[in-house]
Amino acid sequence: MSGALAWTLVGLGLAVIVVRRRSIAVALVTGQALVLVGVALNDATTRNDVLAAGALALRAVTLAALFFVLVARTRELRPVRARVSPLMRAGAAVALALALTWLVPKIGLSSRDAERSVLTLVAFGVASVALRRATIFQVLGIVLVENALALAALELPGGASLAIELGVALDLMLVALVAAAFHERIFAEFGAGDTAALRTLRD
Amino acid sequence: MTSRELFALAAVGLPALVAATIALVPRRFVVAVAVAVAVPVSVPSIALSAWILHAPAKPSMSRWLVVDAPGGLLLAVIAVVGLASAFASRAYLAGVPAPRREKTYFATLYAFWAILLAVPLVGNLAGAWLLVEATTAASALLVGFSGRPRALEAGWKYLILTSLGLGVALLGIVLLAAGTPGGGLGALSWHALGSYSAGADRALVAYLLLLAGLAAKIGWAPVHNWLPDAHSEAPPPVSALLSAALLPAVLLIAWRSEHALAPVVGARTAQTVLISFGLVSLAVAVPFLWRALPWKRLLAYSSLEHMGVIALGIGFATPLALAGVAVHIAAHAVAKALGFYAATPLIGHEPRAAEHAVTGVARTAPVLGAAMGISLGALSGLPPSPLFVSEVLIVAGGFEAGRAWAAAAAVLLLALGFLGLAHNLLETTAGAARDDRADAGGLRGLAVLTAVSVLLLLGLVLAAVWLPGTDLVAGLL
Repeated sequence: MSGALAWTLVGLGLAVIVVRRRSIAVALVTGQALVLVGVALNDATTRNDVLAAGALALRAVTLAALFFVLVARTRELRPVRARVSPLMRAGAAVALALALTWLVPKIGLSSRDAERSVLTLVAFGVASVALRRATIFQVLGIVLVENALALAALELPGGASLAIELGVALDLMLVALVAAAFHERIFAEFGAGDTAALRTLRD
Repeated sequence: MTSRELFALAAVGLPALVAATIALVPRRFVVAVAVAVAVPVSVPSIALSAWILHAPAKPSMSRWLVVDAPGGLLLAVIAVVGLASAFASRAYLAGVPAPRREKTYFATLYAFWAILLAVPLVGNLAGAWLLVEATTAASALLVGFSGRPRALEAGWKYLILTSLGLGVALLGIVLLAAGTPGGGLGALSWHALGSYSAGADRALVAYLLLLAGLAAKIGWAPVHNWLPDAHSEAPPPVSALLSAALLPAVLLIAWRSEHALAPVVGARTAQTVLISFGLVSLAVAVPFLWRALPWKRLLAYSSLEHMGVIALGIGFATPLALAGVAVHIAAHAVAKALGFYAATPLIGHEPRAAEHAVTGVARTAPVLGAAMGISLGALSGLPPSPLFVSEVLIVAGGFEAGRAWAAAAAVLLLALGFLGLAHNLLETTAGAARDDRADAGGLRGLAVLTAVSVLLLLGLVLAAVWLPGTDLVAGLL
């Protein structure tokens, strides 16, 4: 994988941490997944590789459709503001990514760029879940992590397994569907998809 | 297809079939049908489990299927708790104000049960991950079933935190696939993982990521935040499945991973990671066991404690400790499920019990008090509870393994946990009782479940004495 492609994926991930609008974040995550589809098709040498890329594309399109419908059905009167400013979020996410890439030794992917990109995107996903209050941004954090793992699977020396790609895509869509159901219920109950309302259970 | 494979297919396929077809049943018959079919649905699992445990020295393993002693044990636990939860659901649904949701409830419950039954049988780490992730989707819906704000909060936390954890675990799996000859799915079968050839350091990183991710689903501290919330807000029959079946089923995946990767990362190192999770979980759970918590939250923190104990036993990995683990998994399931089933009549008896600690239940509802007392007494490790015997076996196994410091720390933490739960046991059953309680309904079913649980717990005491040195323990090693 080229360095430019790795930077593109990382840049799209960082933008998800920073942007305010949910629809833009959905577009960014979808764009990232489609870049991965391009990488998969470019590297495909067998019929199974092409099918695995197809599974990735299906996942990207289905999730994009689901999230755009969800955003349209649950219009926020005011955007849910994260408690942490965009600059601070970006700083925290980059710091976490640097820590991860420093801590984790070589992991055996086809290039060091790919390894760093995978770890950075995992860090960005975790940061999105931890630092964003809006429910959709938390789910997008999980999709970011799954995109990182799809990249890792593509950069394995032996290539990705079709069965695993299909299974992971199916599971992620299942989890996203359940998250969508929860988001709608939370929106109906509290008037916003804001996890700040979900802080009553404490000991 | 061998007969064991046929039984495995039936064990998973029957509950899946019920989940897929329950919507076709007329609404007024749904509860009766769903409860009635639970018995035939559980038969293949229990039969397969009995078959495996009868000949534990002859495991069979393929790319997709593993039939061995630990899997047989978990299969029995999941089948029995699933069956009891289906029975207990009738009383729960009778008290749910929102009508017309029985079909959704039972379709999701049976789907969850089917996926859970598949977890101990899957012969592949990637397949296990997919199933564990699928349990998240099904069980999150059940956690939020009541639709109350607190349930939505618990379901959301559970969904997000465990999905994130499983993402980290998947990173570990990808790393393992990268370093195992052949790559792809075949490289991730349990017997192929031991051939990892990219070096011990990389294998250790992958193993740590895998276990850290699975820990979020098992509910090991410090990544257990969702556990008390989900267990306390889910419908009681679902809480029983979550605590008694889901947590140990995912723990089995961690156990199998440790077993498969021990030759690569070093047995001592692999076991130390489990012991660390066990001790941290015990240490985090103990202060909460001393507090006057709502009944289901108290049981949830007890789950944290017991998952820690099981991790310790697997980490000690001696025959004595593993005998203790087998008894502990079974006895914890019986006692914990009974405790959660008691929550349905308890909340009918005193509605504030959903959010507050209750006292003196035996004074106002003796049958309910007896069920809660037996559950909490067994969970605290009060002799002659089988959990007392299993904890003794595990600690003795720790000393036998040369892990004296860990075993001594476990003794101290278990003693503190026992004192906390014993105090709660006295307060909950025999403390001062409020005089504004309603009549507790649904006690006939609970009385039957309590009687069956007492018999099972006594049987497990005998099993704990008989088990060390048998072929079954050899099959766990």
